[in-house]
Amino acid sequence: MDLSVQQFRSKAEQELLDLYAKAESALPGAANPFVAELRKNAIKTYAGLGLPHRRVEAWKYTDLRARMEEIPPLIAALGASVGEPELEAALGKRVAAFPAYRLVVVEGELRVDLSDMTGLREAGVEVGSLALMLEMPPAWLKETLGQVNPREDDAVLALNTALMTGGVALRLPEGLTLQKPIHTVHLDGTGDPASTFTRNVIVAEEGASATVLESYGTLGMQGLQRNAVTELKLGDKSTIRHIKLQCEAIETIHLNVWTASIAADARYNAFQASFGAALARNQLYVGFDGEGSATDVSGATMIRGKQHCDTTLVVEHRVPACVSRELFKLVLDDEARGIFQGKVIVLPDAQKTDGKQMAQALLLSETAEFDSKPELEIFADDVVCGHGATSGQIDEDLLFYLESRGLPAPQARALLIQAFVGEAFEVVEDEGLREGFAAASAEWLGVAAE
Amino acid sequence: MLEIKNLHAKIEDREILKGLDLTVPAGEVHAIMGPNGSGKSTLAYVLAGKDDYEVTDGSITWKGQDLLEMDPSERAVAGVFLAFQYPMEIPGVATMTFLRSATNAVRKARGQEELSTPDFLRLVKEKAKDLKIDIEMLRRPLNVGFSGGEKKRNEILQMALLEPGLGVLDETDSGLDIDALRVVADGVNALRSKERSMLVITHYQRLLNYIVPDKVHVMSDGRIARSGGPELAIELEKSGYAEFGGEATAA
Repeated sequence: MDLSVQQFRSKAEQELLDLYAKAESALPGAANPFVAELRKNAIKTYAGLGLPHRRVEAWKYTDLRARMEEIPPLIAALGASVGEPELEAALGKRVAAFPAYRLVVVEGELRVDLSDMTGLREAGVEVGSLALMLEMPPAWLKETLGQVNPREDDAVLALNTALMTGGVALRLPEGLTLQKPIHTVHLDGTGDPASTFTRNVIVAEEGASATVLESYGTLGMQGLQRNAVTELKLGDKSTIRHIKLQCEAIETIHLNVWTASIAADARYNAFQASFGAALARNQLYVGFDGEGSATDVSGATMIRGKQHCDTTLVVEHRVPACVSRELFKLVLDDEARGIFQGKVIVLPDAQKTDGKQMAQALLLSETAEFDSKPELEIFADDVVCGHGATSGQIDEDLLFYLESRGLPAPQARALLIQAFVGEAFEVVEDEGLREGFAAASAEWLGVAAE
Repeated sequence: MLEIKNLHAKIEDREILKGLDLTVPAGEVHAIMGPNGSGKSTLAYVLAGKDDYEVTDGSITWKGQDLLEMDPSERAVAGVFLAFQYPMEIPGVATMTFLRSATNAVRKARGQEELSTPDFLRLVKEKAKDLKIDIEMLRRPLNVGFSGGEKKRNEILQMALLEPGLGVLDETDSGLDIDALRVVADGVNALRSKERSMLVITHYQRLLNYIVPDKVHVMSDGRIARSGGPELAIELEKSGYAEFGGEATAA
């Protein structure tokens, strides 16, 4: 291992290496040469990179090295007691009760007792705990794991690959349209602060279609450090609607990577709602590998206090005639800081690309901050690309109009804020989920849901 | 009864209302006319409580209550309604949701029972029909993409739902063709009652052919310069606002 690249290691950086060294032989798939090799290479990549800091351009606004002071031990599966009341408290009533095939990961472990996969295998879906599958990975997993838009420059992704211990692996066979969504629930535990590295892998074969919801909530752990990665491979003519709700505990560090490669004539609709965590970094890497495909990547962030939420997105048009749309809405109160970095790359072959991006922030206080960094790298000449960013306060004239109709000022403000974020929720096709997000935003605002 | 005494109001450093006195007894409709810049719209906003305007002197008493002590939503609950000259467009708020929120907020604050969704729908359908409002229009975001006439009818619909004691109509006729004007005026006339006072602010006499006022006041330079019966509006139509500091011909 060449360690000369990095001269100095922070305490946390070293602790992550120690964490790996200590856990290595007991990690899922340790006996499998493919998995062991994958992990070894990944920790090498991490060792070379260290934790990203503000002098790394993509991490300019989120100095992870400064923010991660120490690394708690890997989460231990203590069999935390979880029932419907805990799920409701963690995710909100509507999302907890969302009708779906449900896979519940608690303390880094897929809990069969809490999951409901009745009918999922019968429908033809290959599904299971990633930890189990790593012991003897099937061919489709071997062809996917660590290979969707591979990156050598992402320490978060590398750490996840090195240390992944739980999550869900899912293969949707050719031509299958799954009517009922799949809901993967990710909860922490109730014990001492811990680190968790969960990994989901989703492969949609040709013509397959499904909705996958990932939710992240808390059972009460103070000081979780979560690293959660989902890799998706979309085959020709497949459709994946991929939705995330993040309402983790307020002390949590939430590091998330979604990486998707899209084949021809396929659709990838992604939506992320972020409410929780002290520091959240949502990275999305979307790459077009087949012509005639489209993606819509959107999100809504509502944070306050000293919360920090960074969404960093890279959409790479590698082939002609694909469409990408991004709409991100941020509501920032108190001293919260919201960040949106969106990069659209159009490679020389990707003629007839149509890419549009918009990020809008609503600042509810003088001390909230929004940083936006759109980047377009265009190497083809026949493309339509655009980006925009706005930030502003609540429009006093609109507020007066609503108040003059009898709505007390707090209710009028809440209505305007909900209208602002509601535009992003429109991307979510499932009506029940849209209502779930509207309810979550109402709860954030402290008003009753419509 | 609305009683305005010696009202002075300014926006930023510019004084607009300069000692305005006006009394509107219960059940009466008064028209406020006057040249552009005489302070008509300022009066409307000050009545509704827009905080861009600072009241520096005088008083507004509504049914014995000091209106100036109330915030805009409290005034709405107390029965003051302003039909805006330029109703606001709010994308992301469905008109129907807004109407129900406003109606129930006011009902709740007045100690009345809030309406259930079916009851509210019945009520809104009935009121919308009188104003020739297509119910589909109410499923669209508030005022977004509405024509001028649709916006004004939507204002009158809100007035019908909120059942105010004082309706202030700020240039409700502006931007309306004759058919739309008639629908809006019919809607307003249907709301006239012994308990309800109205203040109809307009630059032109045309609207007053349809909403016949009990009294007409002419504003000039932040005060009421002249008051009279409906015939005053007709006289102004001929002579214009020249003697009140406006252009020689009214349109």
